[in-house]
Amino acid sequence: MRVVVAPLSEFPDGERRIVRAGGRSIGVFRVGDRFYGIRNRCPHQGGPLCQGHLLGDAVADAPGRVQIVANPLRIACPWHGWEYDLDSGQSFLGPGAAGVRSYGVTLEPGRSLLDSAQPVAAQRTPGPYVAETFDVRVQDEYVVLEA
Amino acid sequence: MEYPRDAIDCDVHCAPAQMATLFPYLSDYWRQYITEAGISLTGLAHAYPPRAPTSAGPAAREQEGPAVPATFDALAERFLGPAAPRFAVLNCLTGFETHRNPYFAAAMASAVNDWLRDEFLGRDERLRASLAVSAGSPEDAVAEIERVGEDPRFVQVLLPVRSDVPWGNKNNHPIFAAARERSLQVALHAWGRAGRAPTPSGFAPTYLEDYLGNQTIAQTQMLSFVAEGVFERHPDLRVMLTECGFAWIPPLLWRFDKDWKGVWREVPWLKEPPSAYVRRHFRVTTAPAHLPDDPAAAGQLLEMLGGPDMLAYASDYPHDHGPGLSTLLQRLDDDGRETVLRGGAAAMYVL
Repeated sequence: MRVVVAPLSEFPDGERRIVRAGGRSIGVFRVGDRFYGIRNRCPHQGGPLCQGHLLGDAVADAPGRVQIVANPLRIACPWHGWEYDLDSGQSFLGPGAAGVRSYGVTLEPGRSLLDSAQPVAAQRTPGPYVAETFDVRVQDEYVVLEA
Repeated sequence: MEYPRDAIDCDVHCAPAQMATLFPYLSDYWRQYITEAGISLTGLAHAYPPRAPTSAGPAAREQEGPAVPATFDALAERFLGPAAPRFAVLNCLTGFETHRNPYFAAAMASAVNDWLRDEFLGRDERLRASLAVSAGSPEDAVAEIERVGEDPRFVQVLLPVRSDVPWGNKNNHPIFAAARERSLQVALHAWGRAGRAPTPSGFAPTYLEDYLGNQTIAQTQMLSFVAEGVFERHPDLRVMLTECGFAWIPPLLWRFDKDWKGVWREVPWLKEPPSAYVRRHFRVTTAPAHLPDDPAAAGQLLEMLGGPDMLAYASDYPHDHGPGLSTLLQRLDDDGRETVLRGGAAAMYVL
């Protein structure tokens, strides 16, 4: 299923759109020139995942010595704060530490495909859940979700 | 009480009967300070009311003189003979209430350690001791650890579970660094800091509440050690939670892990769920055991605790906490009993 999300010119960097694709609610996020699609349903307890904060990872080499790492990006469910990798849908932390299903997001011809390697969590344990993720591409200057 | 044979006993009490006992270890100034003010040792009567059943078993209460052994001869006759431990770790709580005069508190801690060495540690090779420190002053505590901590008969630094600030606070970390540099561990013992309420929400009107308050404060300390990253800084540090019970640990850990998942960014130096740190770094003495009377329920609780690996035997002589130890030991197999009676302590301490 292809869902036209928005004209590129109306989808600035750092914003998100939550769209319907069939029976599913899916969040489309723009980070820089890259788009991500992820299901708006937290695998933990069904919370509206895509309404949560988008956060860089926090890493510490000692108590009180913390840095934010811009990549990978995590979407934190507003219900319980469980975090999922925006690109892969992998969860970090959780009951036994789980992941979310993610969906690929790509760009239309004319734009180079960005590196889709899965980000690695330096210090964190992958969780049990994977959030559903989707392809998003820019087509003729429209952002298109492949769901 | 029936003592398990050849055990490593992680909590045996001794204390000088009067201040004069410590005079050889105090300066002229402090002897005068004590004498002029009429400062006397109370034997922690507020913590262990002399006639309360929790303070001493029937035999200890019927003896002449103080229930807590004040001399090596008393300890040998009343405890070392009957109990026949493999090792016994002496905890002297004198000065433990942490006098508000920090200089006096430091002098008292030094005097207690010197008295322990002269009166006990040189007299029986099975004896080990906790190193007393001024618990209100990390600087003085470090200095005392540096002064006597090289003596291998001291196996841990004794801290009161009731403190001015939670022990995991970064201002206390130098104490743990100084301890680990000398292969010492840390013990948190019930009671402590004078003037501190026994509950997180204020003072309690009864001894019953006051006594049980030790275990709620122990929970605060457990959270503090983990959340404030003490074990990330000191991966070999072990903490012996002494006389604070343990039946409360499983539900605390369920909640600790659950809430950490949601707000882990506040403590990103934790690399594992909090329960993993607790199980690896905390040991708890078996007195009091706080187990349900129903043997099946007691077994379930031990299962929730993750088995006996966190448990270390203590008689808590002369204090008496009832028959919880035998209930506990009956629920364990031979390996489990070995862990509780000897193995856990042997792995934790340099004995």
